[in-house]
Amino acid sequence: MHAHPGAPPSRRRFLALSAGGAAAGAAALSGCALSTAGAASGGGSGESITMMVKLDDISPELIQQAQKELGIRITVVQDDITRLIAMLTNGNPPDLVRGLGAMDAPYFAARGVAEDLDPYFAKSTILKTDDLDPANDVWRFDGTTQGKGPRYGMAKDFSQDAMFWYNTARFDKAGVDYPSETEPITYEEWLENAKRLVQRKNGQTTVYGGSYNGVNLTILLTNLTAAAGGSLFSDDFSRVDFTSPEARKALTWYVEYAKTKTGPSLIQPNPDTWDGPTYVANRMAMSGNGYWLGGMINADPKIAKISRLAPAPVFEGGPRLSSCQAGTGMWMPKKARNKDAAWRVFEWFFGEAPAKGRAEGGWGIPTLKSLRPLMPQKEDYQKRVFKAQEAELKHFSVTPFTPYVKWDGMEALINQVMPAAMNGQISVDTLAGRLNSALNEQLKRGKEQVG
Amino acid sequence: MTVDQIPEVAERPRAVAGTGAVRSGGGSRTSMTARRHRAFYMFTSPWIIGFLLLTIGPMAYALWLSFTTFDGISPNWRYVGLGNYQELLSDPVTWDALGRAGLFAITSVPLSIIAGMMLAVLVNRPLKARGLWRTLLYLPAVVPPVGAGLIFKQLFNRDSGATNGVLNFFGIDAIAWLDDPYARYVILMTVLWAAGNIMIISLAGLQDVPRELHEAARIDGASAWRTFRSVTVPLLSPVLLFQAVTGMIASVQTIMPMLLAANATPAGVTSIPQSNYMYMMHVFAQYFALGRYGYASALLWVLFVLILIATGLIFKFTSGVVFYNVDPEAKK
Repeated sequence: MHAHPGAPPSRRRFLALSAGGAAAGAAALSGCALSTAGAASGGGSGESITMMVKLDDISPELIQQAQKELGIRITVVQDDITRLIAMLTNGNPPDLVRGLGAMDAPYFAARGVAEDLDPYFAKSTILKTDDLDPANDVWRFDGTTQGKGPRYGMAKDFSQDAMFWYNTARFDKAGVDYPSETEPITYEEWLENAKRLVQRKNGQTTVYGGSYNGVNLTILLTNLTAAAGGSLFSDDFSRVDFTSPEARKALTWYVEYAKTKTGPSLIQPNPDTWDGPTYVANRMAMSGNGYWLGGMINADPKIAKISRLAPAPVFEGGPRLSSCQAGTGMWMPKKARNKDAAWRVFEWFFGEAPAKGRAEGGWGIPTLKSLRPLMPQKEDYQKRVFKAQEAELKHFSVTPFTPYVKWDGMEALINQVMPAAMNGQISVDTLAGRLNSALNEQLKRGKEQVG
Repeated sequence: MTVDQIPEVAERPRAVAGTGAVRSGGGSRTSMTARRHRAFYMFTSPWIIGFLLLTIGPMAYALWLSFTTFDGISPNWRYVGLGNYQELLSDPVTWDALGRAGLFAITSVPLSIIAGMMLAVLVNRPLKARGLWRTLLYLPAVVPPVGAGLIFKQLFNRDSGATNGVLNFFGIDAIAWLDDPYARYVILMTVLWAAGNIMIISLAGLQDVPRELHEAARIDGASAWRTFRSVTVPLLSPVLLFQAVTGMIASVQTIMPMLLAANATPAGVTSIPQSNYMYMMHVFAQYFALGRYGYASALLWVLFVLILIATGLIFKFTSGVVFYNVDPEAKK
């Protein structure tokens, strides 16, 4: 039946028109998503790229500078995994994406969404492979193991995150001997120190004895198990085993740390949400963070003068390892639309002005060996920290991570299972069994999906 | 201008008389009807387009996802039919989270309705500075939920919160409010804190209660409580039913206060105390931490159906006790 001119639209026709309008609206919204997503300003050559980063990774001034120097228009999109997945799914990903190399690199590489950057590195005159610090190996993945094979990204800076800072004034006050700046103490000694350093009043913790939570719990437990001489993952990274003697040792230590409530944990969250402000406020005697925290500590000379950086602790009889737990940097999606322009921005960000600025600020060790002399060494306390860090580099290694599950997924499951043991409701053995069951199920699903 | 010169009024008697569209004036009537229809559709189309685009579309997409193992990024996802729904039925974490959400709804909805109604009765009385009291009591409901959540998080922090500061002042040791077993009460307080919303609706209902009925009850010797119970509450019952239904729907979907009390990252949402790990937190964790889009979509569809059933049950069981003050003459 055809409607005659002037007749009202039938309900069916109206709904069909509305559906059409909705579809057109959806397409329009999808098309304009990027232009409304972030801050941008004009470039010169007409080339443009989209970077998905945290807004403090790159300041608006640096973006202006990049646009001026490179002639490439840069749109910044806030780092957000759900947005990234949406953009990857609709075939319009950012050209550069922020990531934690130590955990994200194998995940994205195994799913075939990350570009192999070896050909770009081979041609680059700014990022020469012989100038790359071994820490960048966290961004390599050979299809099975992290640390080998093609490079899928690069770290902007790095730290050996199992090292720890300590406040000598707090040690003096508690009458505790300072840890050596060259020889590692054991994890047990670290915990004993924390117990003696913690201060409480009226049921409140006024000074944390020590904080040791790693970049996140997942990578911390992976590294603690390696420090105990084992591996949390099976050889093909498709399973975890928390019941192995080494993993059990790591788990026991961490549960004990949480139980003593000497530092922040899942059952005693830090009101400041992370160590930096608490340590600088003189309310934390030890903080399990690597060199990068120096960027914040150096900003307050009073705290910097009483701070020392100590090597990563070891387990009795275990190897001396000091890996990087983050290696934060960027990768390029395989479906990026402007790869050449993205690479020019990549080179600039990792090898030119921003890289030099980061090196001079002390916010992490530069990932180009040639930039290392720029690390802060003017003041005595800076020289001291630099020396401790240089000595620790000899013990750097990559602790491979599974490609099958994103670290957030493992972390979410660990968060759910762990507090019962921390509160003393279940034993470490029961905890190990529950962790195996929850994580292996998720790993199995991940392996099926990677194929 | 006379009445006859107003086109719409002039046309109305013919339409009511049912004379059809053939005789004199039929063409203009058709055009008027068409214009009215067009106006109707023009005014409603933004809502209908929005409904299709932002409600039906995502719901249909979520339904499709719920039959898959899609995680947004991996190449080998597949259809699993009702597999996600079967898994859901045997997943104790899901049922525990649903149970907590149900318990939260059963507790928070009546409490906030009672609190809101009590406040409404209070500010309906001839008080001094009544307008000021009404404003003050309503103000917390105006505070954005994000702001309210963050305020509560700071207030109840064990080491730096004002609540423990007050306790310490009286020589009482600090309490870990944001941990079990206290965390559930803090969330309940954030909900009750915003009872001003319910107060405003109840106040509007109270002001609709005819004064003569109260006077008649007083003349008959009814006490204040009896008048409230037998006159005010029955007349407020449609308002209370509305609040119960919308409150139930909102409370089983509560997520914001818990999300704000948590470390609001995909992985951090599971670090909240177990008593606050309710259904929507579970959905959030499945979507954004575990990347299980299919399973999380199944969870949402099940919640949608459960809400429909619960709403139907509330209407069924309250049909005999809700009093609709309809003017019988108006029906004729």
